[in-house]
Amino acid sequence: MKPSRPAEPFWLLLPMLTSLGLFFLYPLVSAFKTSFYDWDLLTAPRFVGWANYRAIFASGELLGSLGTTLAISSLVVVGSLVLGLALALAVHRPGRLAAFARSAVFSAYVVSWVAVGLLFLWIFDADAGVANRALAGLGLPSLPWLTSTRLAPVTVALIVIWKVTGYAMVVFLSGLSALPPEIAEAAALDGAGPWARLRHVTLPLLRPTAAFIATTSLIASFQLFDVVRLLTQGGPVRSTTVLVYAIYEQLFRDLRVGRASALVVVFFVVLSSLSWLKLRAFRAEEAP
Amino acid sequence: MLAAATLPSVAGGCDRDDAPAGRVVIPFWFTYGGRNRATLEKLVTRFNLGQHDVWVRAVFQGDYFEGLAKLRTALAAGAAPPLSHVVGEVVPYLAEAGVLEPLDAYPEAHQLGLLPSLDQSGSFRGGAERPLVALPFNRSTPIAYVNAALFGDREPPRSWEALGDVARELTVTGRFGFGCPIDWWYWAALVGQAGGQVVEQDGRVSLGGNAGVAAIAFWQSLVRSGVMKRPPGRDYNAWEQLSQDFLAARVAMIWSSTAFVRYLEETADFPVRALPLPHGVRGSVPTGGTHFVLLKSAPRELKLAAWRFVRFLLEAESAAFWSRETGYLPVTSAAAERLASSGFYASHPNHRVALDQLSVAEPWPWSTRLFRIQREVVQPRLEAAVLENRNPAEVLAEARAAAEERDP
Repeated sequence: MKPSRPAEPFWLLLPMLTSLGLFFLYPLVSAFKTSFYDWDLLTAPRFVGWANYRAIFASGELLGSLGTTLAISSLVVVGSLVLGLALALAVHRPGRLAAFARSAVFSAYVVSWVAVGLLFLWIFDADAGVANRALAGLGLPSLPWLTSTRLAPVTVALIVIWKVTGYAMVVFLSGLSALPPEIAEAAALDGAGPWARLRHVTLPLLRPTAAFIATTSLIASFQLFDVVRLLTQGGPVRSTTVLVYAIYEQLFRDLRVGRASALVVVFFVVLSSLSWLKLRAFRAEEAP
Repeated sequence: MLAAATLPSVAGGCDRDDAPAGRVVIPFWFTYGGRNRATLEKLVTRFNLGQHDVWVRAVFQGDYFEGLAKLRTALAAGAAPPLSHVVGEVVPYLAEAGVLEPLDAYPEAHQLGLLPSLDQSGSFRGGAERPLVALPFNRSTPIAYVNAALFGDREPPRSWEALGDVARELTVTGRFGFGCPIDWWYWAALVGQAGGQVVEQDGRVSLGGNAGVAAIAFWQSLVRSGVMKRPPGRDYNAWEQLSQDFLAARVAMIWSSTAFVRYLEETADFPVRALPLPHGVRGSVPTGGTHFVLLKSAPRELKLAAWRFVRFLLEAESAAFWSRETGYLPVTSAAAERLASSGFYASHPNHRVALDQLSVAEPWPWSTRLFRIQREVVQPRLEAAVLENRNPAEVLAEARAAAEERDP
């Protein structure tokens, strides 16, 4: 059938396409172009070919920040999946208490990152922080939450996990609600106990949900910036310099627009690859 | 802080809509927080109400480095204000980039009576030979603050060794004897005290040579022996953290800027005493703080109006008020004399420490690379050297190599 007004969908799409073009495509193309220039915003840009890409590789800036981002993201993905699932299973039931627990856990997700950063700055203060005071109360030694190169990335990951677990829980809850109850009932009739039903029925059926949460958490944690800016400023000794923070430093601290743009381009490629993997995983799940 | 944040609307000095008709409105980007911000806003209000031609609209832009980032972005976008202030280390870079207005031809630009150590010629080696582009206002040196209740009647530490001894004596469980941000500014002070220079007279980036190594090694020994607190965070986050530790008596003695004299005196619930930094083989302190700059890209009318405001701030009354209320140095001889003759220094000896230290103030080199060396080369490596206890000679050799790297 031939559409009577073939141009209409494009008119309807025009506002979105304009917005995407202006705020996404144009900056991306502009960053790609700028990545081949040496520019400090003040003096005239100078074409330097691939030198910015070579510089971010050679200095270890790219691999270091990418590695830190991946390490923190991995902790976030695993942590939010496990905790989100555990909480979803715990509160997937009727009743006021479960409803309250659902709201309470999800509330962290809607708090602004800046507020979260300030809150945890107070909690993880080396001397006066609640965390170390609690440890002291238990007779345990205090921990260098934000001042150790080993512990600081873990602390940042813990904060992100705390923030995004509510979202993971809600998505798992929707996944649990969508499961056909007759499958679990059939398994129960066949003699499967609660643990066996969870392991062999519920969890396999939740795989698409888990994949969705994993990829969205991964992408979200790749965009981590606010908490790092507030809590550690990328330190100590670059141990929490994630990719977005490295871009910020190159641009606003070091006045290197070209290198910042090169990092942006690499960041775009990495995120696109992750999105492609996500799509591929979903299509594999949907395939008969 | 909250009071400072709400002051602009109360004072009526910072809102474009408040400007009476017929005035030239000049946006002024500033980067002072807390008490210093409130003091500046009082001066802005005083200026705005004291004449009928110009209206200064003061806009807070975060800390020094955040403000600088915004200023550069605004310059690139063609939206820079006519007046702002920038850290000393970046002045040569901005001047050579051609974005700063030469001030030599402005009325009485060379008759402002600035203290020689703080004006462009005294702040920078080679600054006198360049066109005048920067005027000092909030200038400082690092000084030591001690919790006088804990410090007692001890002699101020005059040497690095004495500093270590006092730090050890003041250290108890739950309290460090000494605290210092692992920051370029304090390291530069130590390098000078150890007899070195960050950039040699011939422009070579030596990073102090052996003096640079000794400076890092000194910090490492204090941290390793558990008497020095290295505050977490970077840049001014670390400074602020250290102030809070000092105020909470978690650190008995800190190095910080003279800019915080008034704030620490009024906030601490113990007596605060300011002391000069110790000597190594010689006395040496860098100067810090910022310089006023007019941005070349602004319309001439706005630059002239901004110049009037700068002149007002450099009048003896304004400069003395600023110094008295904050702790920053009085930048003109007249302001310093006014404070001395009024008996202010006699009753507030902490304010005098930085002024006396100017006798050993070290000028910065006029180098366009200085800012990059500070931010990219030295600062990150200092943190790594102290925290990871790396060999200082290796760290600085690596830093020197990085400093010599040219852009592609």
